[in-house]
Amino acid sequence: MWLVFQKEIKELLRDKKTLFFMIALPILLFPLLIGGALYVGTNVVKGAVEKTRTYAIIGEQFSDELVGKLNEVEQFSLQKLPSEVQTKEQIVAYVKEGNIDFVIEIPKNYSSTVLDSGKITLKLYRNQAGLKVVENKLNKIVDELSDLYQTTAFSSLGLSESQQISVVTPIEVEEINVADERETLGESIGGFIPYLIFMLCLQGAMLPASDLGAGEKERGTLETLLITPIERTKIVLGKFFTIAFAGVTSALVTVLSIALWTAILSRGEAGEVLVKFMTSIDAIDFLLVFFMLIPVVAIFAAVLLALSIYARSFKEAQGYMTPLVFVTFIPVIFAMLPGVQLKGIWAWVPLTNVALAIKELIKGTMDYVQLFAIFGSTAVIAGSLLAFCIYWFKQEKVLFR
Amino acid sequence: MIEINKLAKKFKVENPKKLSDQDKKDPRLQGRFFHSVREVSFSCQNGEVLGLLGPNGAGKTTTLRMLSTALQPDSGSINIGGFDILKSPVEARKQIGFLSGGTGLYGRLSGRENIAYFGKLNGMTNDAIIKRTAELSHRLDMDSFLDRRSETYSTGMKQKASIARSVIHSPKVVILDEPTTGLDIMATQTVLNFIRDLKNDNVPVIFSTHHLDEVSELCDRVTVIDQGQTMFNDTFDAFRALDEVSLHESFLRSIGKPKHQTTER
Repeated sequence: MWLVFQKEIKELLRDKKTLFFMIALPILLFPLLIGGALYVGTNVVKGAVEKTRTYAIIGEQFSDELVGKLNEVEQFSLQKLPSEVQTKEQIVAYVKEGNIDFVIEIPKNYSSTVLDSGKITLKLYRNQAGLKVVENKLNKIVDELSDLYQTTAFSSLGLSESQQISVVTPIEVEEINVADERETLGESIGGFIPYLIFMLCLQGAMLPASDLGAGEKERGTLETLLITPIERTKIVLGKFFTIAFAGVTSALVTVLSIALWTAILSRGEAGEVLVKFMTSIDAIDFLLVFFMLIPVVAIFAAVLLALSIYARSFKEAQGYMTPLVFVTFIPVIFAMLPGVQLKGIWAWVPLTNVALAIKELIKGTMDYVQLFAIFGSTAVIAGSLLAFCIYWFKQEKVLFR
Repeated sequence: MIEINKLAKKFKVENPKKLSDQDKKDPRLQGRFFHSVREVSFSCQNGEVLGLLGPNGAGKTTTLRMLSTALQPDSGSINIGGFDILKSPVEARKQIGFLSGGTGLYGRLSGRENIAYFGKLNGMTNDAIIKRTAELSHRLDMDSFLDRRSETYSTGMKQKASIARSVIHSPKVVILDEPTTGLDIMATQTVLNFIRDLKNDNVPVIFSTHHLDEVSELCDRVTVIDQGQTMFNDTFDAFRALDEVSLHESFLRSIGKPKHQTTER
């Protein structure tokens, strides 16, 4: 068996195409992707914020204060509305055509003494599809003025400061988070990490799997292998371990590359949080996350090998394997559903239990007893899949299709 | 010596609708099963070369695959030197060398590594493999390219490496399934020389072919099968004597086609 394994690995290491996808791509591509996304993202946002917006005011005679504040905003430039733009419909059409970025309408009742004037409603005409930059700036001005008017109103009513606070928010909910930082962050990214790991394992194992089964049929080497005095069980096991090894290696390389490059490229705040978060996970849990790859890879390798043995050619094998990516998605979705926890029956559902366990390990709330369920169910499933592979590999109708 | 007696093999027809009209007319189709090989018997003594002839689809490849233990026969027996290979196929494989026209090599391994891999699978020691590889390399003139990756080989080089691979373990019988199909003249000659060498070494060789000139050049015995049955099984001289004009006519005679009627109208 190790003879087959040894030879397959040797051949795999000499295959530039597979190596490229397994190692070079994750190491080189991810920094480019992450860096590129960060660069483009920051520049787009920066450009949008800095861009000058044109605006017009209707009813400017009602408030010098507001008009003055708007004038102070650097990126806002005041324009006059043409005289033919009068009705609401005309204003809407004018803004929609892109002649101006936004129009603000000050009502007649605008006053700094809100107790007399009643509620003030400003109208903002703008294209919702744009960024929220305008609203943010405007809200800042409005909030400032609101606070000012509020305080004036309250003091004219003779309310004390504490009375003022309770009038503004009579009831408040104060949240006391019992989860520590690791648990909170773990909950949010713990669902995503298993998905990433699963996909990477599958992707990494796919190419070698197609090559080892269908590829061997296509090249005409399978028949010669079959008539050597080695049991077919050993051939299958040798191939199985090669695929599993490739899957694990590929996943590890990619995960490490992502972690490394994210840390390097986001040395700022995000990097610090990440480093803090990573260091908060203890070594045993970290090791166990990698250990969790074993059940995943065992199942994947067995399924991929079965498909590859059945397929007549490399192409056909790839065709059978592609839908697997979608099938793998389902158990991960289960693990993301609220209320699904690593308990009872869910601990026995393959892949879902691993996804849940990875999440728990990252959060630091793992119930280690459940490891028995995980490895137990995996052993049963991967074992029977492997048994099926061996049976499959002895079938003449499969080998000589 | 190798002796085959009343070998039979049927395959299940997965989708009868896919069969062509010609397949449906074939008497070997019975219900859900296609009896690819119905009754094939022949034998080959040490130092003899046996040519296996027959039209396409006659059951030659199936027969040879049963001989190589890749397929398991439904009935019949195969004896190599008095040893029933169906009873312990894994052990029997050590006695058999097999090569077909479509046989490939592992492209990313060198010729030497390909040969060594099969040597190891056959349970040979490293020393024995090195010694035997050197011997075969010299005999087949492979020294200049043996350490290059086999994906860079020409057809002739590939065929030489395949030959060495198939006999690395010094088999007691060699089976060749259309070994010259698709090869150029030089590579074909390599295969034919190799068969001659085996004959000189007293190893029985069974090979299937469509080239009657190869048969007349090498074969001591001829077996013709058609529709899964042995139609002729005798010496080459007896085969030639079937028709005074040519070997092609002899072949047609052997499968029961009347003279000068090669196509049915």
